[in-house]
Amino acid sequence: MIFLYIGLPLLVAAILPLVGKISKKFLPDLLANGVFLTLFVLALTSGRRLIGSGPVLQQFRWMGEDTGIALAVDGFSLFMLMAIALVTLCVGLYSINYMEHYGSKSVYYALLLMMMTGMNGLVLAADLFQVYLFLEVAAIASYALVAYGLEYDELEASFKYLMLSVVASAAVLISIAVIFGMTGSVGFAAVAEGLRALDSRAAVGFCSALFIMGFGLKAALVPFHAWLPDAHPSAPAPISAILSGLLIKVSGVYALTRIFFNVFGLTPALSEVLMWTGMVSIIVAAMLAVGQPDMKRMLAYSSISQVGYVVLGIGLGTPLGIAGGLFHLFNHAVAKGLLFLNSGAVQQATGTRELDQMGGLAKRMPLTAGTSIVGALSITGVPPLAGFWSKLLIIMALVQARQGLLAVLAVLASVVTLWYYLILQRKAFFGKLEERWNSVKEAPFWMSAATVLLALIAIGVGIFFAAMLKTWIQPASDALSQGVQALSIGGF
Amino acid sequence: MIGQILLLCGLLLFSIFAVLAKDLIKSAISLALASLFLGIIFFVMGAPYAGVFEISVVAGLITVLFMLTIALTKSGGDVRESKAATLVFPVFFILVALIDIFVMKGLLPKLQVLQSGAESGTFAEVLWKQRTFDLVGQLAVILAGVFAVLALFRKKDNHD
Amino acid sequence: MIENWFLILGFSAALLAVGLYTLLTMRNVIKLFIGFEVISKGVSLALVGTGFARGHVLLAQSLVITFIVVEVSIVATALALIINIVRKTNSLDVRKLTKLRG
Repeated sequence: MIFLYIGLPLLVAAILPLVGKISKKFLPDLLANGVFLTLFVLALTSGRRLIGSGPVLQQFRWMGEDTGIALAVDGFSLFMLMAIALVTLCVGLYSINYMEHYGSKSVYYALLLMMMTGMNGLVLAADLFQVYLFLEVAAIASYALVAYGLEYDELEASFKYLMLSVVASAAVLISIAVIFGMTGSVGFAAVAEGLRALDSRAAVGFCSALFIMGFGLKAALVPFHAWLPDAHPSAPAPISAILSGLLIKVSGVYALTRIFFNVFGLTPALSEVLMWTGMVSIIVAAMLAVGQPDMKRMLAYSSISQVGYVVLGIGLGTPLGIAGGLFHLFNHAVAKGLLFLNSGAVQQATGTRELDQMGGLAKRMPLTAGTSIVGALSITGVPPLAGFWSKLLIIMALVQARQGLLAVLAVLASVVTLWYYLILQRKAFFGKLEERWNSVKEAPFWMSAATVLLALIAIGVGIFFAAMLKTWIQPASDALSQGVQALSIGGF
Repeated sequence: MIGQILLLCGLLLFSIFAVLAKDLIKSAISLALASLFLGIIFFVMGAPYAGVFEISVVAGLITVLFMLTIALTKSGGDVRESKAATLVFPVFFILVALIDIFVMKGLLPKLQVLQSGAESGTFAEVLWKQRTFDLVGQLAVILAGVFAVLALFRKKDNHD
Repeated sequence: MIENWFLILGFSAALLAVGLYTLLTMRNVIKLFIGFEVISKGVSLALVGTGFARGHVLLAQSLVITFIVVEVSIVATALALIINIVRKTNSLDVRKLTKLRG
């Protein structure tokens, strides 16, 4: 029942403020995390059977009658749904402890559920305009969540984020309007067919440019990244995790990929643009990450850099490249989520985000330090952790496609990534334990549980990478590789 | 045709005035008038529901929210916009207008469009049957906005 | 009908340009919100105008109505942020919001 992915979070979010009046903390915690867990299990188990024979278009029946809601699922959407559910679940669990002092937990969880509704809706939409609509749902939730603490930094970051996002939305909508004008429709299948019949390169190019501008801003691709290094660090840690781990990928990379592959069709020119945009992001962000004194800011720049890898892999367009890009999307979601959650634990324990003021925390917070190392090594691409395989795939794909220069740059950037993560680990966790941190305690139960879960997944996926590739990445990659044809199978 | 162009010019002019006006209240009224023009344009184009929505929601509701904010932020004092911004604007606008006209005239023969048949059904059918998922999205976006406002205006008893 | 389409798109582009100019140059945060409003008008005009010029008015109408609902939600959130910002800084000047560097 695909509609559950959207209907369930929406419904629970709607009743949560009322529930919050009865029980301030326990019930909201339980309900919200219950939803996340349910959807995760759902994605893991039933989804596979559903798409066993190709993409599926499911009509939502209400009381036995057909409503007009038809939702589309294929390998790519299912993969995203699983990733969304997993990271949101961990963020939800973490929030049980972390958001204690922020107040109004029920409203917080309601916003988190709305963000999930938006992301799930975006992934399941089969229509250009609906992609935009659910993107805004998630975005509005995120503006409020970034500013949640109502401190000065958060408000400023959220406001700037909002102002830049509206420009991005306008770009996307204008592009949709032009496409609407050309083809008379906004549904994926109809537009794909119409564009093929028309063959007007210049107009499609113009619309593609607008989409790259709009979705690129959401994905924080350079040069549209300026909002992220302010927004992600200022937000409360679990929100930083879900923003960096999921939102930039769902509303940025997924939307872009879906439209470019299944609606427009990937042309060589588009492929070049995507690859080089990705590469610029990788390099610029990695360079900027090195000198950052603030832990979360360094992680934020790292996100921009790693999303570059994802776009690089997907932009390449070969099945291997797409697989590598998608795998890296998942690995980064897990690892970056993990790292941001840990940064929150550190911030809560020490009261600071400045790396130079930390030191030797590993002695007092072993779990946090251990899981951080796992996360950092995974992103950097150290075997046998998951990130190693995804980066390897991307580089292999580049070599195979004779993109030698890009392959070399990707490897070099990896070295820089390793460098700044080592700096982060050393400054925060190793070295001499500062006097004032002597009485620091390990993070509370749920926070640790969430990060340990993510770390285990990073390790597990790294060891069992072949299985991961076969069951999750392959169907997703296939759905994309089939390109514009994918939509006609299964009757979109 | 002439009527449409006049209406479009009205929309544009009031929008520009709203941007450049020094007094925020005048800006608000000007913006509301621009919305009014846009609503009328929608009517003329055969989109009466959109026109009604535009006028009642944008010219009405948003203007009210706008006035509310102006009242609540009086303590912000007066912010003098840079003289340069106001002076540069005409230059900017003429530049944009020229490029605009040039691009549009130039594109005229070039853009290919699909010929399409007449639209079927009534508006109600289109909205409720074809775009039902949009309505779910609308509900979601409204809830998101409501929760956002609730979160941003909440009373905080103990905040660390 | 195509000439109509380009005329409307032309006005829409002009509105968008005005809105962008506002976002780039104005200092009062409430003026920034006006910039957003003007951009929204440009987008609504583009959507309905396209529908009108190409004979798909009904679909265009539904899209615009949904878009206006989104616009209201964003306006509510933005104004809530602005009110909070003024409470914290006692100023409507966007130049004061430069603590974070980006």
